[in-house]
Amino acid sequence: MAKIADAIKKTTVMLLAGGQGERLYPLTRDRAKPAVPFGGIYRIIDFTLSNCMNSGLRRINVLTQYKSFSLQRHLDFGWSLFRPEFGEYINVIPPQQRGSSHWYLGTADAIYQNIYTLERQKPDHVLVASGDHVYKMNYQHLLEVHCEREADLTIACFAVPVERARGLLGVAVPDADGRIVDFREKPLDPPPMPGNPGYCFCSMGVYLFRTEALVREVVADAKTDSEHDFGMNVIRSMIGKDEQVWAHEFGGSGIGDEPYWRDIGTIDALWEANNDLVQVQPTLNLYDTDWPIHTHQPQAPPVKTVFNEPKGRQGRAVNSLVSSGCIISGAHVEDSVLSPNVRVHTGAEVHQCVLLDDVDIGRDAKLRRVIVDKRVPIPAGAVIGYDLDHDRARFTVSENGIVVVPKRAALDA
Amino acid sequence: MSKILLVEDDANQALLYQQELEADGYEVALATNGREAIQAVEDALPDLIVMDVSMPGMDGIEAMGRILSEHNTLPVILNTAYASYKDNFLSWSADAYVIKTSDLAELKETVARLLKKAGADKA
Repeated sequence: MAKIADAIKKTTVMLLAGGQGERLYPLTRDRAKPAVPFGGIYRIIDFTLSNCMNSGLRRINVLTQYKSFSLQRHLDFGWSLFRPEFGEYINVIPPQQRGSSHWYLGTADAIYQNIYTLERQKPDHVLVASGDHVYKMNYQHLLEVHCEREADLTIACFAVPVERARGLLGVAVPDADGRIVDFREKPLDPPPMPGNPGYCFCSMGVYLFRTEALVREVVADAKTDSEHDFGMNVIRSMIGKDEQVWAHEFGGSGIGDEPYWRDIGTIDALWEANNDLVQVQPTLNLYDTDWPIHTHQPQAPPVKTVFNEPKGRQGRAVNSLVSSGCIISGAHVEDSVLSPNVRVHTGAEVHQCVLLDDVDIGRDAKLRRVIVDKRVPIPAGAVIGYDLDHDRARFTVSENGIVVVPKRAALDA
Repeated sequence: MSKILLVEDDANQALLYQQELEADGYEVALATNGREAIQAVEDALPDLIVMDVSMPGMDGIEAMGRILSEHNTLPVILNTAYASYKDNFLSWSADAYVIKTSDLAELKETVARLLKKAGADKA
């Protein structure tokens, strides 16, 4: 126990939060991917940061890059929880162009360009994680096995059905002891798990490195013309050199059999992850007091639902997450996630929608499978999500037919 | 003939290294600090850099980082009187680390080895 406490103190987190999130456009038009709102009151990055806090890891560097203002402000408002006198910190680090004249070329280059930070902090271990993923994980378990095995690198992995992994996730092939003998990033023919042919052992993008091994590898990678990516280059190179690369199986914290981990990389993934939350038994439990998810949210009064006229106006929200400050006035909200301070006016119908902060749904408007970005007023009588050809002409429509109404959208009634 | 950029602020040491390396058949250009080194690389790309660490103006480690960001396979030897820099992660970008002594055998051997390796990588 003392040993793990010691290891925790000597571990620094490098949280990669620079992703452009092209496939989440237009939600990433004004914000970095980790700052995309999720689950009513959260930003995606809150999950990884909460995992760090719940695991006792309080030495965190957040590496930002594109459109970092919104993310920076969220971290300032919500995550100023650290006590420097106990060696705790959260540093938000944009590219320093220290010894490099370009932006981050890939995940490994992001670490390479921040070797100065590691030199100053001199941790024993470095946890490289991403601000793009939603999951609940105790990193102490990872650290324990990493220390026991004296690993150079331990990768958090979990079993994923082959079809869900194909072309999308990094796939590890462990031997009987758990040592990784092959690794492929987003393979089209993912190698199945030994003894479990329907599943692959997929990387969660959570890498725990011995610091010297990390520095040595990103320096070596910088001297090549690779993609400078952990999954594509660094891990494979380490396995090729017979270094101690191990897998740690994520036991999961979802409800039910399957571990819950999502890459919120696309509009459809974001909508589905929100939709997961409104289920009676959600696969991701936000109500677990043993594993709180922290965020910053505005102070707002309680939710208000008004009008209960037997044959007239009724304000109702069912199978939904409704954040504080929302008023549902004579309107019907179903299977939806509402961020703070949303107004839904009389006669409006909202089905399977994600409405971000301060959205105003006008009277008699009808929305189905729509994500509305912050502060957009939807005019009275507007109909969105019912005629996708019409919607395509004015908005972004995802592969699965989710309509996104972007910020500053001006709509005619 | 391989071209070596020698970065050294001490004029006497620079002269010694230059003469010794030229005697071994290398063409040697000289820079006296990190900033000059960056300019020298831009003017004429060398095959290898022998870089002092502690110099006035821009030090050798920062100059090395900036040069490598443009020429990531250019071999760099850090050549310093202080072994302590070896623990500094920022020095790990160097291909070799040589502690200065009056005997230049190790430096010369390292130069030859890295040039041979770079030639083999290119071929």
